[in-house]
Amino acid sequence: MIDFLNYVINGALIGLLYSLVGMGFVVIYRASKVFNFAQGELVVFGGFLVWWLVMHVGMPLAIGIPLAFVGAALFGLLIERVFFSRLVGESVFAMVMVTIGLLILIRGLILLIFGPQVRPFPIVFPLQPFIVGDILIPRSLLYGGILTIVTGLGLSWFFNRTRPGLKMTAVAEDHQVALSLGISVRASIAFAWMLGAVLSTLGAVIYLSGKSLNFLASDIGLIALPVVLLAGLESIGGLLIAGIIVGIIQGLAVAYLDPWVGGAVGSVLPFVIMLAILFIRPTGMFGWRTIERV
Amino acid sequence: MDPAGVFATRYERDQALVRTRKQLVSLAVFVVLLVALPWLVGPRMVAAATVMLITAVVVVGLQINTGHAGQVNLGQAAFMGVGAYTAAVLAIKLGLPFWLSIPLGGVSAAAFGFIFGLSAVRIKGFYLALTTIAAQFLFHFMVLNLPSSWLGGSNGLSVPPAEFFGHRMVDGPSLYWMCLAFALVMVYGAYGITRSRHGRAFVAVRDDDVASGMMGINVVRTKAIAFLVGAFYAGIGGALWAYYVRFVAVDQFTLLNSIWFIAMIIVGGMGSVTGALIGVFVIKLVQESITSLGPTLVEQLPFLGGDIVFATMNVFLGGIIAAFLLFEPRGLMHRWNILKRSYRLWPFPY
Repeated sequence: MIDFLNYVINGALIGLLYSLVGMGFVVIYRASKVFNFAQGELVVFGGFLVWWLVMHVGMPLAIGIPLAFVGAALFGLLIERVFFSRLVGESVFAMVMVTIGLLILIRGLILLIFGPQVRPFPIVFPLQPFIVGDILIPRSLLYGGILTIVTGLGLSWFFNRTRPGLKMTAVAEDHQVALSLGISVRASIAFAWMLGAVLSTLGAVIYLSGKSLNFLASDIGLIALPVVLLAGLESIGGLLIAGIIVGIIQGLAVAYLDPWVGGAVGSVLPFVIMLAILFIRPTGMFGWRTIERV
Repeated sequence: MDPAGVFATRYERDQALVRTRKQLVSLAVFVVLLVALPWLVGPRMVAAATVMLITAVVVVGLQINTGHAGQVNLGQAAFMGVGAYTAAVLAIKLGLPFWLSIPLGGVSAAAFGFIFGLSAVRIKGFYLALTTIAAQFLFHFMVLNLPSSWLGGSNGLSVPPAEFFGHRMVDGPSLYWMCLAFALVMVYGAYGITRSRHGRAFVAVRDDDVASGMMGINVVRTKAIAFLVGAFYAGIGGALWAYYVRFVAVDQFTLLNSIWFIAMIIVGGMGSVTGALIGVFVIKLVQESITSLGPTLVEQLPFLGGDIVFATMNVFLGGIIAAFLLFEPRGLMHRWNILKRSYRLWPFPY
């Protein structure tokens, strides 16, 4: 029973981490209608920024991490300036293809700049787990989970209640309509990428704290996709719930199914969930019902 | 457009692939050159050309699926892997000859692809692309987790060499000719498909699926067929690959490979079989040159480190995809057509 509880709680917290990575994804979608396949690469880039500032340059964490956020935001702005500002008015297809190009480009840049070696990531959160009774909770995940919930609720409020947030939502609905209503699509996309990059860096800090880092960590960007889909692409608040659900299912599957099939259920299960969502309810739990059926 | 004085008076003429005598001659010369290639160049070039032919088969399939039918497919490498594994298992377990196991590899890949194409019943657009990413991961999971006596697990499978009338195809030229034969048939088939009723339905669905539905095209079926055809090509390519490398393993068929394939059709030009071939040629050529230049470069500039090649390749490829989408979304094929047109019209502007 205690084992079960352990799996559920840890699974839920890992799920919240997926939500955080997914948040970068949703923010970009919510403000620009672009499906960002390069999300995992943004996470790795953020991770390397933190590593470089803290471990290589030797800044204290309290300065290095905020600086990394600034760096990530600038990187997001750069992406928008170089690629997406030229594509306003082009088809969404082209934009999504550009993100596939970005995926490869950023991966190559990371390899060129930071090298392929495995790097030790700074220990941001204390390593000793948090112990309640018989339940062990890693501190990084616990604090990360709390941060995720706070960020998620904040962003949800921003996009659903404030004027700038609603403007961006309009951009996600339709670029042309937004433009004709006097909303700057470019500014919206720029903001989306900056925010997305910052959120990815935050995700990297929580995900990688005390672990090792190399370019393969980008897989988390793909694992976060099912969470995003379950929540329904546009909903930030829903992400939190979806993350917890996917995380718990994954945690339990790894614990109870792995011995039966010989491992690696955890890596494929999110995608099975994703397929199931796509077939049963493509709009997810909280998405807008705008997905046209054929 | 056609050169001056050439105009079609019948529908068949209008649809013809070869329109003038000169085109026929140059096509014949090209094919003869392709066949004679092993006598003309060294073994290294023949190996590169063989890989190009295999990739061309896969990418032409992707072109039909993504370029013509507009269904983004990020799982082409997985479909290729299914074909490769099927051919390998058939050759090892049943001892089937290559001319049976390669088409069967294509068929099994097509069946696998069709499952994902069927999701078009419920969803469209980029959601569909996501199911193909799932295909990639499911493929890896299946191979690695099924009993290793079936698919070899993480060790991969060694494939016996193809035999043709008692001749064991282990040397470069005969493998090259085998791949060339399959590639010629498949590419010819692709031209046929794109000009057929199905090909026109693909383009209609790509351009507007609501309108094409109104015109009586069964949109869901068309999308599923697009996946079926695309995956069939991938499976044939994968089976050729299995016979060429004589070893199959999961890490030959990764998501990154699928993305390379997409890059090839973007560079070559979406919606044109010839464009796909050009894209394969250009990207593979660049890949080859970077891989062969890399070691010398590292020797000259030791501070760069050995992994620089992979990194440069990624930067180059990512840059090229983005640059083409920004500046020439219609690819090299479009540029070539502009050039050809202005040559034919010269000295008049239009």
